[in-house]
Parts: sequence; C-alpha cells; structure tokens
Amino acid sequence: MLSAFASAFRTPDLRNKILFTLLMIALYRVGATLPSPGVSFGNVQKCLDIVESGADNQVFTLLNLFSGGALLQLSVFALGIMPYITASIILQLLTVVIPRLEQLRKEGQSGQAKITQYTRYLTLGLGVLQASAFVALARSGQLFGGACDQTQFPVIPDTGKIPLWLTLTALVITMTAGTGMVMWFGELVTDRGVGNGMSVLIFTSIAARLPNEGITIWQDDKTTFFVVVGLAVVVIAFVVFLEQAQRRIPVQYAKRMIGRRMYGGTSTYIPLKVNQAGVIPVIFASSLLYLPQLATSFAGQDTTNRTILWINRNIVAQDKPAHIILYFMLIIFFTYFYVSITFNPTEVADNMRKYGGFVPGIRPGKPTAEYLDFILSRITLPGALYLGIISILPNLLIGIVGGGQALQNFPFGGTAVLIIVGVGLETVKQIESQLMQRNYEGFLR
Amino acid sequence: MGLVSKFNAWRRKLQEQPGTTIDLEPMQALLPLIEEREAELSELTDDELRAAATALHQRDDPQDFVEACALGREAAKRALDERPYDVQLLGAQVLLAGHVVEMATGEGKTLTAAIAAAGYAAMGPVHVITVNDYLARRDAEWMRPVYELLDLTVGWVNESSTPEERREAYAADITYVSVSEAGFDLLRDSIVTDTADRVHREFGTVIIDEADSILIDEAKVPLVLAGSTIDEKDSPVAIAEIVSGLRRDHDYDVVDDGRTVHLSTAGLAKVEALLEIDLYAADQVDSLTAVNLALHAEALLVRDVDYIIRDEKVELIDEFRGRVAQRRRWPDGLQAAVEAKEKIRSSGGGTVLQTITVQAFLTQYKKICGMTGTALPVGDQLREFYKLEVAVIPPHLPNVRKDWPDRVYASAEERDIAVVNEIVAMHATGRPVLVGTLSVAESEQLAATLAEEGVECVVLNAKNDEKEAGIVAEAGSFNAVTVSTQMTGRGVDIRLGGSDEKDRERVEGLGGLFVIGTARNDSRRIDDQLRGRAGRQGDPGESMFFVSLEDQLIERYGPEPMPMGRADADGAIEDEDVRWAIGSAQRVAETVNLEIHRNTWRYNYLLDQHRQLHAKRREELLVTDAAGELLAERAPDRYNELSEELSEEDVLRIARTIALFHADSAWSEHLADMSELREGIHLRVLGAQDPLDEFHREAIPAFRGLLAEIDNRTVKEFEELEIDGPDWEPADAGLVRPSATWTYVVSDNPFGSEMERFFAGMVKLFRSGKGVKGN
Repeated sequence: MLSAFASAFRTPDLRNKILFTLLMIALYRVGATLPSPGVSFGNVQKCLDIVESGADNQVFTLLNLFSGGALLQLSVFALGIMPYITASIILQLLTVVIPRLEQLRKEGQSGQAKITQYTRYLTLGLGVLQASAFVALARSGQLFGGACDQTQFPVIPDTGKIPLWLTLTALVITMTAGTGMVMWFGELVTDRGVGNGMSVLIFTSIAARLPNEGITIWQDDKTTFFVVVGLAVVVIAFVVFLEQAQRRIPVQYAKRMIGRRMYGGTSTYIPLKVNQAGVIPVIFASSLLYLPQLATSFAGQDTTNRTILWINRNIVAQDKPAHIILYFMLIIFFTYFYVSITFNPTEVADNMRKYGGFVPGIRPGKPTAEYLDFILSRITLPGALYLGIISILPNLLIGIVGGGQALQNFPFGGTAVLIIVGVGLETVKQIESQLMQRNYEGFLR
Repeated sequence: MGLVSKFNAWRRKLQEQPGTTIDLEPMQALLPLIEEREAELSELTDDELRAAATALHQRDDPQDFVEACALGREAAKRALDERPYDVQLLGAQVLLAGHVVEMATGEGKTLTAAIAAAGYAAMGPVHVITVNDYLARRDAEWMRPVYELLDLTVGWVNESSTPEERREAYAADITYVSVSEAGFDLLRDSIVTDTADRVHREFGTVIIDEADSILIDEAKVPLVLAGSTIDEKDSPVAIAEIVSGLRRDHDYDVVDDGRTVHLSTAGLAKVEALLEIDLYAADQVDSLTAVNLALHAEALLVRDVDYIIRDEKVELIDEFRGRVAQRRRWPDGLQAAVEAKEKIRSSGGGTVLQTITVQAFLTQYKKICGMTGTALPVGDQLREFYKLEVAVIPPHLPNVRKDWPDRVYASAEERDIAVVNEIVAMHATGRPVLVGTLSVAESEQLAATLAEEGVECVVLNAKNDEKEAGIVAEAGSFNAVTVSTQMTGRGVDIRLGGSDEKDRERVEGLGGLFVIGTARNDSRRIDDQLRGRAGRQGDPGESMFFVSLEDQLIERYGPEPMPMGRADADGAIEDEDVRWAIGSAQRVAETVNLEIHRNTWRYNYLLDQHRQLHAKRREELLVTDAAGELLAERAPDRYNELSEELSEEDVLRIARTIALFHADSAWSEHLADMSELREGIHLRVLGAQDPLDEFHREAIPAFRGLLAEIDNRTVKEFEELEIDGPDWEPADAGLVRPSATWTYVVSDNPFGSEMERFFAGMVKLFRSGKGVKGN
C-alpha cells in the first residue's frame, strides 16, 4: 500500500488529485474548528470539559462523530456533511416514489443535474432547520445535556452591543453557509480529487478525533495507552481482513458460439462479501438504541418513576449487559434485514437468466435463486457476528476495565472503525486502479 | 465577440448547456484578406496557380488560412465554375483549425471539406471519411479537378477495390473512403506477414463528413476481422426449427427494451424434451449456447427491420441510417443462427482475429475534424470523447422552414390514418412530400396504403440503396411523394422542382418540400436531419412529426405511468404533460445510447492500449530479427542445429513465421477472454465492487502474461516442429470476411447502486405490506 502511494506521487496527474483532496480536508478542518461569530469560545471549551468529565453522557454521539466534534464547538462547519447526506438520501428515496423524478434521473446528464440541484436546495433547507435547532438548544443549554449551566457559562452570550436576535440570525446564516461550503468541498473532492467526497469528509471527521482522544488516554495512564494502541492495530487488521473476505460463486455465460476457451469459472463470478451490509446495520441499531435515551431525558434528571430508572440503568447505560446484548441482537437483525433487501436472490437469478448466464451445475430460475439464497444466508451469519462483535467492543471494555472514562471514548470500536477502514480501503483501491491505468499508458509513451 | 455574446457564452458555460461554440470572429476578419488574395490569384494562369499551391504546401507554415482559402476558392471557381461562398470559407477555416463545423444541408459541405483537405495536404496524408462507398467515389471524382488545379492527387476506395487499388488510393495526397473500409484496411494491415502487403501509410488528418453519425452513433461499433471456422457440432437448422415452434410470453420472454430474450421454465422443458438432453448438464454448454443464439435470432431480430434477405444472403440494416450496413455481420455464431432461421446456406462463423472500435480507429489520426448539419446537440459528447469543439456556421441564406409542433395520437392506428390523410391532402395540391419512416417494413406498408388511396409514391429503403441518390435528388419535384427510412440520402441535395429545378417556382408557390416524420426517432438529431431535408439554402419548406403513444420510443422510455391526456374524436391529443413525456422519452433514449457508448469506450480503452502494445511487439517480430534472436537465446541447441542445415536467412524466416503465428493466435484468444470477462463483470457490483476497476484488475495481468506466453509458445513450437526444408510454411488460418457488433448489457450496473436497491426494496416492502424473507 505504501508503495502504491509512493508511485501515486510520482504520477503528476494523480499527485495533483491527492494534493487537492488533502487541501480540501485541511480547509474542512479549519472550518470545523473556527468558532462562529457570536459564540463564546472560552465558555464552549469549559462546557466541553464538563461534558467530557461527566458520567455517561452520550449527547448527539452519532451526529457529533460525523461532524468531527465541530457540532459541540458550534463552529462554522458545525453541521458538517450530515445535511448533505440526509438530503441525498431523501432525494434518492423520492426518486423511487415519484415517477417524474425517476424519469428525470433516466434522462441522464441534464436530468441528473436537476436532481443534484434539488439536493443542494434541500441541503440548504435542512441546514437552516438544523442550525436553528442547534442554536436554540445551545441557548437553552440542552446541547450539552443540561450539564453545563448557561447562566454561568453562556455559549452564546448576550453582550448587549448587538441585539440578540441579530446574533442568532447571523449564527444560523453562518452555519447554513458552512453547510453549503462543506457540500461544495464534497463535490469538489468527488470531481477532482480521489475517493468519494462525502465518504472522505466523514473519514476526516472521525479521524480528526483520534489524536485528541489519544492524548486524553496518554495523560490518564501510559500503560492503557499502549494497550489501546496495540488493541487498535489488532482490531483494524481484523476489520481490513474481513471487509475484503468474499465467497465467489462462479457464473458462466452461454452466448458465444466461437472463440471461447473453456474457463474454470475464475473470471466470471458473483462476489458475496462476508460483510455484505457494510456499516448500515450498526448505524441503524445505534440510532434505535438512542431513542430510549432521548425519551428518558425528557423525563428529566431526578425522576422517581421506576420504569424510567430501570431503563436508564440497564438500557441507556452502555456498560450494562442488557444494553450490550440488545445492541448486539439489533445489529444481527439489521444485518439480515439489510442483506435481504439489497440482495434479492430471485432478481439476481432472473438477471443472469436474462443475459444467458448460469451457475455451472445449477438450473436457471428458481433453483439458482434458492442456491444463492442458501449461500447468502450462510455467509451472512459470520458477517453479522463480526459486525456485532466489533460494535460492542468498546462497551465490553468499559464493562471489563470498569468504566475508565478514557476507554469510554475508545475510538476503535463500532461505527468509527468500520467507517474508517471502509472509506480507507475504497480510496486506496481507487488510487490503485487509477495508478494501474496510468502506469500502463506510461508504457506507450 | 461583442459584450452581449460574450456574456451569453459565459452564461451557457456556467449553466453547462450543450452548445458552447468557438468564436468565429477572428476567422470572419480574414474574409476580406482572402478576397484580396483571390483577386491576385485570379490573374495567374493554371500552371502558376499550381505553383502557388505547391509553394504553400512546401512552406513550414501550412496553417496559412488566407492562402489556403484563397487558393481553394480560385481553384473551385475555375474547375467547377462555382465560387465558394464566404460561409463555406468560414467552414473550411474551422476545419483547418481542427474543429467540428455545423453547416446546414445544402450549404456545400463537400466543397468546404475539399478546401480544407487541400490546406491540410502539406501536413501529410488526408482522409476524407464519407458516409458510404457511393459518396466516396462521387465526391472524389467531383472534386478531382479542384485538387488538380492545386497540384494534389486524389483517390477513393470502395468495397470492391483490390489491394493494389487501395494502396494507390491511400498513396494519393487526399483519399475519400468510408470509415468501415479505412478501418478494415487497418485491421488487415495489422495481420500481414509481409510488410509489402500493407495498404495504409501513416495516418495524418481525417476530415469526417456527417461527423455526428460517425463520431457518436457509430463510434461504439466494433470493426471485427474474423478467421477460420470451427466445426459446429449441433446443426443450427435443427435447433432453429425447434425454437421457431416456441410461443412468445409463454415459452420465452423478451425483456429489457427488446434487447434480450430468455426461455421460460416451460419453454426450457419443451426444448429439452425435443432435443432429449439436459441443457444445463456440464457437457452441454455448446447446445445451450446454440439454443440461446437461435432464440435471439428468432425473437429479437426481425426480417425487414433488422436485416433483409438479398441474393440468398442476410444483410444487416444499420439502425441509425436505415440502409444496408456494408460488411457488417453479427458476431459469435449469431449470424449463422439467423441464416439457419431463414434457411439459407451458412456463410460460416469465425474466430475473432482482430477488432477495433470506430472510435479507437479514428483516434489513430493525428488530427480529427469534421462537418455535419447537427453537431451542436452532441457538442458535449464530442468534447468528452474526442476533445473536439463545435463551431456553428450561419446558413448562406436564412432558414425559413416552418417546423410544426408534433401531432400526437393515442393509438398507432389513429396516427397512421392521420399521416395518410395529411399526405393525401398535400399531394392533392401537387406539393412534393418526403416521408421518413422507422423501418423498411413500415415504409412498404405505408406505400401500399398510399397506393390504395391513389397516391403514387417512390419507396426509398435499404432494399434499393444503389438508386438512392437518384431518387432523393428527385424528391423535390412537382407531385412527388417519397417514402424513405430515416437517414437515407444524407449527402444528396433535394432541389425544389427536381434535380433540374424546372418546376422550381411552381413548387415554391406551394410552400416547398413538406417533410413528414411518422414517429420520433431515438435521437433528436435524427429528427433534425430529416427536417433538414427541407428548407435547403433559404428554400421554403415545412416539417411535421406524428407521434402515437403506442410508439416503441414512448413504450420503452416514457415515464411510468405515462400521462395519457385527453384525445378528441380522431384520437388527437393536445396536452402539455404528454408533450413533456414524449420529449422526455427521447431524452432517455439518447441517454441510454450515450451510456452504451460511454461504457463501450471505457472498456475498450484498455483493450485498445493492449492492441497497440501488441501491435508494437508484432511489428518488432515482423520487421526485425527479434524472433530469431529470441530463439537463438532460448533454444540455442535447436537453433544451431537448424542453422547448420539451412541458411541463416531461412532460419530467421521460419522463426519469424512461427512467432507471428503465435502472436496472432494468442491475441485472438486474449480477445475472446476479454469478451468473456466483460460479459459477466457487472456481477461484481453485487459485492460492492466497481466493475470497471475489476475489469482492469483482471485484464492487465492477463495481458502481461500474454506477451510472455507468445514467446513461450514460439520457443516450444520451434523446438518441437518438424521442419523439412527451407520452403516450410505453417498451416495458416484462412481469412474469412470481417464481421461485427454485439450488444452488451446496457449499463454495467443493471441492479442499481446499493442505496437505490435498498430504497427500492423498502418501498416494495411497504407497498406490499408483507414481510421480507430472511428476517
């Protein structure tokens, strides 16, 4: 992999693309740490300290993870890439539902351009919405889960020089504009850089937290630091290995009469990945598990309601067996759910049959679909177990080591490591394949 | 450029509208200078003019537009008694600058190209690519006097040209040739075993007539050179008979816009019962293939739409031009299957020896430029695929043709009635009518209906293309009704009042030529080409398209559900949503074609690199003693042994022959392997992999292995071969006629992206209200 990077840097075209991507990442990070106008930087830092040293307060974990910590800092790019992702997902969904949009998509470049345009408008719309919501939350102190007293450390102080409504409006406009910028960066990376813009920016956000958390652990306990680093290497290696594991089902096409050499079925096959579902089941499961926490937080801190207390103690608390088991089961369920929806054996079998393809030794149509289904069910089990184990790793650690707050932020568990490795692999693969082609052209010149 | 036009250009660029064009102003500024120079040149004798032309050709700066245009104009004036208009000189300048020029029909593209060709001649050989053989010959002979006054030689090639004639034609300064002939000559050159057998020389400039048709529509067509036939174990005739007994929608299903067909479970059982075999048994792959091919021939290829039978031969119809495609065959046994279906003698199949797409062939030229009536709509594609820019030349006289909005009908039947009524009404006044239909069968049917109505018409379709030019030229005569397939007669002018224009004023009084399209084509450009037959050089004219909601275009590419509008008693529909849907269907069709082109190019790009690398190695083997050196090094014993028996020269010759044989056969196998790989690569999407990347990942090592394999086989053969004397010849693969085209899966991702699949699945789940299997 390192040699791939080295030779990528020797290819001017590719080098420029990589440098461009790095530049975008740098700009993105600058914006993510740049405080918005009207926000008290000092008070925000104090609140963050309070939150981090607090007990098990998982405020907006997923969102904050995707924004690289920018959200809680109320920076210019506080909203990060999330509104853009949400808008893209909504548009994708609408395309399936609304015939006119579907037709537009089929029209190719011109239609696609229109859909892109809608996505951009929607992103800005969502940006305004979310920015307003977060600004309101910040004012009321809810952004930090009520842990940070707003009369003591007001994050958006009313200085009296400028009317407050003007400050708040400026803040919303700034954050929305920031969202627009992030979206633009993402598109630029996709167009002129390496990798998919959205993925690269998410990768950046997650990776950006690592040094910070590393330092925290280091300051806490040197031995733990080395254990964590060692563990991280093992986990990453394990993930890289399993992400690339696949079962290949050979397929043969009977369409050409002449000039066909008998193939051992090596080049034409259906690759079934062990982790066919990617990171989605984990995101679904953690989003679902976030709901009880949200619900109980409405009940307030000092409730005496037994059910709520029980939920708080067993489901919300991340080191309790109930939470861990529930999380694990949900991931297993969503893995099967996702795979069954995205990989429809009947559809694949029909497609193969349509173009004259078949699995050697298996008749087309229903028998093929059944065969694919059988293999898929078998390969999904280890995939689901793997996803579950990686995801609950940090929770287990908290349980075993005993709630050391440094480990709570263990950055190599669940979503983070899956996304980091996934995006990393994808990007390296893209560089590699471009490199392959370039080197090749190099032969001729 | 004025401020306003600059702003408009900027705005278009910002909005990414197709149609950013290059600026003509600097070229317009040269026109007075050309006129001045022309005045000087007109004083010269013919010989002095030739001398002036020679002087230009010998100059280091052949891109002197003023001199080139002035010489061209003067030569045309003397040779053809025709002084090129300013717009033609503008066009020539655009060509000389290396762009694609859009000029309307009848603006004199042939002469424009000739002036540019003469200008390019100093930079090496110039090929003018014409649409067909007839035009190659006609244009070359027509322009010959002009070229002779400029001291240039001209040649032309057509299908029946002998190798000697070809060599001579390509040796001329300027060669007129169709793209398939030029391409096939390159393919044949690439497998010669003696350099003297080659016909092409270096590739210099190419000027392409009807550039959109060749650079875009035909670009993806692979030109294929096929060799010896493999014995066919199963008689395709027997299987064709079994397949012809199957019923559509019962025994087999046609899907994917009529691109593919497959047996249903019932049909499969029926075929297996009749053949008494299990088609999916491991040893029955050949029978299965034969059945698939027979089914394809039976269900997807329709006589008189996709092909015609002429002189006991199957001849393909070009889908974009509606005329017989020269030298084209279906690949991989499909041709034989069609022949079996029509019960005519098989012309034999063949292994693919060499192949190149039209696009890859054209990129061999150092400089590409071209002209067409419809370049602007494909401006983006020309830029994407060839880095070409488009310039629009205003017509010499303004276009006054009236283009009516489409007339839309609910059913095809109602539409056909309306078409006939319109023709009858127009014909009653004596006004010439040109009708464009979609297929040969449709044109004949329409002609029959018209005959019943007492309207005499001339039918122009793939069946009589040799008379085409003559018929088209007369389409503007008083009282003429001409029924044609879509693109016939590109390159031939329709003059009002007939080719001699004797009734010109009378026809003009009636409103000029009336063009009717019986359905919208798959591309707006082709519609525009048909419209462009009327309104030549400021002539009056009108055009009108009839559309029915049952048209293939609408059914395949229209939105789901299709808006139906409200029809009146005749079935006519006036509805904005319907109009949008029709336009949208055409845009979708264009996109599908573009995607096929783009994908073909993406996958062929790498293959073309392979082809060039292989060609380089083969050239080395052919012209140097590389093969001898290889064998002397790798098989020294055998080499020395032979060197004692035979002369050095003979050993080298034998070494070369063996090496070339293996270079060719290994290459042929590589091509087959790559087609096989390409066929199933879309399945990789299911593992979240990019098919193109995966293709590269497999193809590149395969090619690396190929070059080593050639050497190994050569060495092995050399060591084992019984060589009985200096006259030894290998059992050479006999060459058969070239063949072409096979459609792949439209997109390399038929399943949609993972997200799309997920949402589609979720929507299906909620709509059906049922649970999903597996959870």
